[in-house]
Amino acid sequence: MKTNVIMKNKAVQVYPIKLSQPMGATLAVLGVKGSLALSHGAVGCSSLTKIFFTRHFCDPIAIRTTAVNEVTAIFDGGDGIVKEAIQNFLPRAKPEIIGLFSTGMTSAKGDDLKRIVSAIDYPIVYADTPDFVGGLESGWAKMAAAFIEQVTESPKSIRSDKVLLLPHVSLHPLEVEGVKDLLTGFGFEVYALPDLSESLDGHLGVNQASVCQGGIAMNDIRQLGSAGIVISIGASMLPVAEEFLKKSPHSVHINLPGIMGLQATDALIEQLMHLTGKEPDRRVKHWRKRHQDALIDSHFSIGRKRFILAGEPDRIVDMANCIAEAGGTISALVASTPSKLLERSVAQRTFVGDLEDVEGMIDDCDVLISNYHGERIAHRHGKVQVLRGFPILEQIGVQLKVDTLYDGGTHFLVEVANAIITDHAHRQYH
Amino acid sequence: MNKGAIEELRNDTSCKHYNVSKKNCKGNEPPGLATFGCAFEGAYFALAPVSDAIHLVHGPMTCVGSTWEFRHVGTTYEGLDKTQMGFTTDIGEMDVIHGGEKKLARAIDYAVDKYHPKGVFVYETCMTALIGDDIDAVCAAAEKHWNIPIIPVHAPGFIGTKNFGERLGLEAAVDHLVGTQEPEYTTPYDINLIGEHNINGEMWLYTPILEEIGIRILSTFSGDGRIDKMRQAHRARLNVVVCAKSSEAICKLMEAKWGIPFISASFYGMREASDAIRRICAQFNDPQLTARAEEIIAREEARVRKALEPYKILLAGRKAVLNTGGNKSWAFAVALQDIGIEVVGVSIRKSNEEDKAKLRSILSPDAVLMEKPVVEQVPLIMNTKADLLLAGGRSLYTAVKKGIPFIEISQEKTGNYCSYSGLINLARDIVSSINNPMFKLIGSEAPWEKKVIELEQCLIKGA
Ligand code: SF4
Repeated sequence: MKTNVIMKNKAVQVYPIKLSQPMGATLAVLGVKGSLALSHGAVGCSSLTKIFFTRHFCDPIAIRTTAVNEVTAIFDGGDGIVKEAIQNFLPRAKPEIIGLFSTGMTSAKGDDLKRIVSAIDYPIVYADTPDFVGGLESGWAKMAAAFIEQVTESPKSIRSDKVLLLPHVSLHPLEVEGVKDLLTGFGFEVYALPDLSESLDGHLGVNQASVCQGGIAMNDIRQLGSAGIVISIGASMLPVAEEFLKKSPHSVHINLPGIMGLQATDALIEQLMHLTGKEPDRRVKHWRKRHQDALIDSHFSIGRKRFILAGEPDRIVDMANCIAEAGGTISALVASTPSKLLERSVAQRTFVGDLEDVEGMIDDCDVLISNYHGERIAHRHGKVQVLRGFPILEQIGVQLKVDTLYDGGTHFLVEVANAIITDHAHRQYH
Repeated sequence: MNKGAIEELRNDTSCKHYNVSKKNCKGNEPPGLATFGCAFEGAYFALAPVSDAIHLVHGPMTCVGSTWEFRHVGTTYEGLDKTQMGFTTDIGEMDVIHGGEKKLARAIDYAVDKYHPKGVFVYETCMTALIGDDIDAVCAAAEKHWNIPIIPVHAPGFIGTKNFGERLGLEAAVDHLVGTQEPEYTTPYDINLIGEHNINGEMWLYTPILEEIGIRILSTFSGDGRIDKMRQAHRARLNVVVCAKSSEAICKLMEAKWGIPFISASFYGMREASDAIRRICAQFNDPQLTARAEEIIAREEARVRKALEPYKILLAGRKAVLNTGGNKSWAFAVALQDIGIEVVGVSIRKSNEEDKAKLRSILSPDAVLMEKPVVEQVPLIMNTKADLLLAGGRSLYTAVKKGIPFIEISQEKTGNYCSYSGLINLARDIVSSINNPMFKLIGSEAPWEKKVIELEQCLIKGA
């Protein structure tokens, strides 16, 4: 069944939830070990992005900027200033690879990153990511595709036991780790691109602020071509998988719209069983039973409530499925950017819009699931709030949350149910 | 403000930073090394505390996405708190090609019609400056139509640093608003507070004291600010610049235009707060006011001293290294001394000459002024056996490695350390940090990193 997606084409976004392509590109660079993100634009884009993700992850973020000013904006096509930026920071930070990306201003004035990079003798991967098109998902995907396009070598042969995992931007670092562990359990050698599971996963690292200390290694990206299987998660990662198949046309591509909830996880496991002829290990099997039990325990609360979910398309569609499995009614989805996936959502109504749109239909829900900016709105209207998405400020441990697969889905259902139950209890006391 | 005026500002030699470094106040930083925020960010944070105005960012998502609702600024406004709302035109590809003026006009109409603000600030950003939108014209037309101030703020990011943008933002507000409305009444003791953002309500740690003395805050730029109050600001008898040096420029403007004198004041720490109050009162030359101020200062200082007693015992003989960056360093140094901590080193990386001179006069001759905290900080902590590091979030790892307590000092987190009660908060936080075992644990070796494992500790008695 195809859902009709309504575009809220207002001239102004109020309480916006959309985020920009350069922000997505920044995160993608941080999923590569030894990298440094270099924003080609004015100073604010990088300093604000740094603040944004530092507050969200409570961890330092390695990013620098070409600091375009009103003189270089006019007289420099980017060639001089990118070079100068690299020369300037090299004494302080020596990345293995620089992830260079454009911002609205430098894209609009037509700076040609390919030309700029070809004249610089330093390893650089580049992507054109103006902030006046796309959003967080597409910026992340473009940067990931750039790594494949510019770094991955064409393979001599491919291996059926090697998997490339392409996670969408909203998968938390520990969720990526969970999928990697599952695949490893099936006997695969797994690489995720980008891989935040060892960089922004909330571990105590050293020097993380100057060069990214975790993530997929450059050498592994070079040799990704031999992966016989590529698993992409989310609609936003389809173009990245296509880029990969150009390098390695004989690899098998599996796209999963999501990995939350019983059915989505079943679908992934079935694929893996089919590919390997093996069964998942005992722990995975047991978590499925726990997930089923959580469905039973949570259905009393979740099953009687109506939900509005706002955020990045790949995430909210996935989350909606998981809640719907416990009987929750999805009154509406409000996505930050358009996506094909939205047409397949289980929601009664699906929009591309902002939190003002959410407030406009707040009476249609009991529970709001959104980023931190939704808190005020939920509070104002006496709704239960569950925090998910970018940014989450004033809560710690966002990267530690696992909502995916059997185990994460179990925790997620429990958390949502508890939020409802606690709210109910508070109302009785007061 | 037009382009010519911006050029003029940039060459403004009266700016304190002008002769200190090669760059002037706009302070463009070199590619690859720049860490400050952009002018837009400065302008936005300077004005966003105005709680009955809409803050509309005319640009793409990067600009607004990381600014709105990122700072809690206290407000007493009873309507929908607009300091915590985000508005943006979200410039798209079509706007880049065809211009964003029509979209901006529709955006203003929509926002004013729906949220009934007292005014609208429209922030230009890099993109909309580049495509050349005539924001002034759009704002002027909207102002006429809605009959409320619609203020264009020309501080696109690429034009300079956050500090420069703060100045441009405040200037836009002064230019457009001040002197356009008369207050209901005036008193001889009316003042404006300039450059106070009221982050986490820090202003409220000292404004009640001023009011008790008999000084009225007529207007603020712009903590807990209101459009109407800003319009009436020309009737104040004194402008008080709170901490932010970049705001002095607008005081000069107001002095030239309305003859309002100004002084700078800092409320960090007890001595500074008392000094600030005395200097404000001195401007009014009224013995009664001064007497009342002295009474209240004495009362507050006694209250703080009493509250600090238990902390002072715990903190006696402790040494701290201070790396706040920026001009709050001496204010913090004074505050630390007030609670009995010896300051053995201070970063002066971002301080100007005046700040440095002040620091020298406050600190003991042995204290180190660090030009390059990145390299000097760790040896300094080792050599002085410092007990505490107060610094921005970046220095956390220094503290981790050295296993010494760390207090984060940033614009967002220092609010509670302002004025008399703030000093008690600071002492309380330092004591809890110094006694927190966590700092030793996070620097400790893992079992597999230890050279000698002391198994005895693990033996179970009686086994
Ligand atoms: S530098 Fe320009 S584009 Fe970037 S955040 Fe600042 S105003 Fe926006």
